[in-house]
Amino acid sequence: MSTQPTSAAEPLKPLRTWSHLAGQRKQPSEYEIVSVNNIFRANPNDKVELSPDVPMNRWYRKYRLQSRLQVDDWNAFRDPEAVTYRAYCTQRDRDEVYVDGLLSQHAEREHDKNLSPAWVDQLAALYTPMRYLVHTAQMATGYAVSLCGGSTVANCLAFQMADQFRWMSRVAYRTAELRSRWPQQNFGQQERACWEKAPAWQGYRELMERVLATYDWGESILALNLVAMPAIDVALEQLRDDARARGDSLTGFLIEAQLQDSARRNRWMKAFMAFVGTRPDNVAFAEEVVARWTPLAQRAAHAYGKAIRPGGGERAQAAFDAAKNFH
Amino acid sequence: MGLLNRSEWYDIARDTNWTPTYASVDELFPEDMSDTFGLTLEQWNAYDEPYKTTYREYVQVQSKKDSDAYSVKAALARSNFYDNTNVGWQNVLKMHFGAVCGLEYSTVLSAGKMVRFGKAPGWRNMATFGSLDEMRHAQIQLYFAHEFVTKSRQFDWAAKTYQTNSWVAIAGRAMIDDGSMGRDAASMSIMHTFALEQGFTNLQFLGLAADATAMGDHSFANLISSVQTDEARHAQIGTAALKVLLAHGHKEKAQRIVDIAFWRNWRLFVVLTGPSMDYFTPLEKRHQSFKEFILEFIVVQFERALEDLGLDKPWYWDQFLESTSVYHHSGHLEMWFVRQTLFWDHKAGVTPAEREWLEEKYPGWNDRWGRLWDVIAENAREGREDKLFPAALPVICNICSITCGGVPYDGHHIGHWSDFGGRRYYFCSEPCKWIFDVEPERYHGHMSLTDRLLAGQIQPATIEGTLQYLSIMPGERGSDPENYAWAHQCASPTLIHKADVHGHASDRL
Repeated sequence: MSTQPTSAAEPLKPLRTWSHLAGQRKQPSEYEIVSVNNIFRANPNDKVELSPDVPMNRWYRKYRLQSRLQVDDWNAFRDPEAVTYRAYCTQRDRDEVYVDGLLSQHAEREHDKNLSPAWVDQLAALYTPMRYLVHTAQMATGYAVSLCGGSTVANCLAFQMADQFRWMSRVAYRTAELRSRWPQQNFGQQERACWEKAPAWQGYRELMERVLATYDWGESILALNLVAMPAIDVALEQLRDDARARGDSLTGFLIEAQLQDSARRNRWMKAFMAFVGTRPDNVAFAEEVVARWTPLAQRAAHAYGKAIRPGGGERAQAAFDAAKNFH
Repeated sequence: MGLLNRSEWYDIARDTNWTPTYASVDELFPEDMSDTFGLTLEQWNAYDEPYKTTYREYVQVQSKKDSDAYSVKAALARSNFYDNTNVGWQNVLKMHFGAVCGLEYSTVLSAGKMVRFGKAPGWRNMATFGSLDEMRHAQIQLYFAHEFVTKSRQFDWAAKTYQTNSWVAIAGRAMIDDGSMGRDAASMSIMHTFALEQGFTNLQFLGLAADATAMGDHSFANLISSVQTDEARHAQIGTAALKVLLAHGHKEKAQRIVDIAFWRNWRLFVVLTGPSMDYFTPLEKRHQSFKEFILEFIVVQFERALEDLGLDKPWYWDQFLESTSVYHHSGHLEMWFVRQTLFWDHKAGVTPAEREWLEEKYPGWNDRWGRLWDVIAENAREGREDKLFPAALPVICNICSITCGGVPYDGHHIGHWSDFGGRRYYFCSEPCKWIFDVEPERYHGHMSLTDRLLAGQIQPATIEGTLQYLSIMPGERGSDPENYAWAHQCASPTLIHKADVHGHASDRL
């Protein structure tokens, strides 16, 4: 090797932003400065800087690199709402102040005391077991984060994962409140049996267990966000409507707030579909995934809707058919 | 009636394990991704995170913390601190941001892996915060570093180090991947959150914040303190996991991966933080040496954490303690020599006054490292540029991806190697060799920079070809920031040991 530390190349000069953003026409925003191009991998074929044949590298090649969902550059994706970490926390803190307000006002008015026993039974059967369902969504989104190819997509997913945690927590909170007012319903204890055995939940449990066991990254994220999550929203909408009809304003307001996070998910996912949709192969793949997963999701929504009220199953199915076409 | 206390509902929110029937437990939690210890979901239900935070508390506290950290930065933005601060501190900032931002973000993804594959609900919930925390750490540090991009092209590395073949990037990826994304969720919780975050980074950030305060860099001090408070919370994921694993008789394996992780973390930590504290920080601002910091914080706290859990000190503990007086001095000298490969300017930090301090803190420093610096200083004074740069790439360790340095005059050879699959692997130390020998399949196919050079991947095989392979271009390459001014201060005959070492440093490197 030569000892000469010389180079013919012109020395690089300081730029006004990161070199990876310097080619843009526009001055990069704070969102771009902190969000773009943050994911590394060992080399194009290996996720981790270890032997190419360690389990994680084999997993990465099989489930991410060989997935049919591919783009040229994941870093070209932009969250339409340009949410940074600090914006996320500030926004959700405000949202949670609202939810705290709902909870404390309803608690002061002894809202739970005035619920009818029949409706309390419905809440035990159809609302408080929701923490299991929402938690499976939290887990499935965690998987999508872990294998993601670009940080701007991963950030949207991480916020979505946190939002699922948010609502799992609020359902747990409500479970404890109901337990203290209606001890005989066994709130806090009976939800696991509902989730594992009650007909209303088996469709969703099957759907989510199968989503969780789907490791192809592309199929996993599309099945989750184009089919399973919209199907969960249908259950939430039906429960919200029924709660209002039974005078349970608190459940109605809470679910309404939860659905605002779903709307956020739909907005970034719409941008995601437009982004991946520039490649016709991805569109065909997404259509296949939606077709493959829809019957399971329909059955789930139908079974849950049927448990809410007579005719609810058909209504749920119709709502799901409309929802899944949002993209 | 108002709102419920956390304790009235918290346990319900971490009671979300169920018995799957549409997919098997093994399909949902594959061993390689989830838990190579093989505990059942029921056994993991005993997991009890010690630091309890709810989502509602999290967004409230974090939003306040961010508001504080960004406000301090905004208030100090026009203070021209950077232009007026010491060159050593400027380069601490370049090194810190370049080495840290990408690693922080990688844990957004690996924590996502724990959210999916962790077998305990409380663990999955804490990992959800962990993932968000790491996004915060990446974003806030990128934001702070971005302020300096117009000052030096080297700050661009805050955003790009880990997208390159820089040896720092390879070493950083190798360290973080082997303890997080490259492991099952259970092992990751121990290696990453216990051995790295609780063992090192949580405390390192305390030390760094103290140094920043001493330097008058209040914006950075505030940033690092803020990051440390998150670290202190999510670092506890691993302690709770260790308790479950130890209760089910997995001490041997848990101990082994703690030992692997601690050493790997140490190897990277020592070559970055060691020079920062003992060579870059201006003499008058140093309140303790790197070794004193390690002994006071890392050693005491880590030993206590191990003892509390019923784990032993790693088998190499004596070697580790000894290395606190050695590795960073050798590493610093090597890094100064290969400074062109760095994305910061590597301050020598060996003026007569600094050497006096080094000798006081590390008795024998002059005999070991001072003699080499004498030669380098003389070459610098005489303008022998060709002797101030390496003639070849140093040999790189097949585990830690850092140079196989050693103690000068104490056997200048690579004393550790293993043969596997028909080839020989070289290591910087006995613990790195042990890590390889425990599970050679994990590492055998990974090529060190030395391997890549010998395999012809680095072309042309010159220093310039190597620098281009490392993706470090003119304008970014590290230099001696004082342009050898320190060497002229070293001309005092009492400090120069002519002895028999003339030219030794450049020969070796």
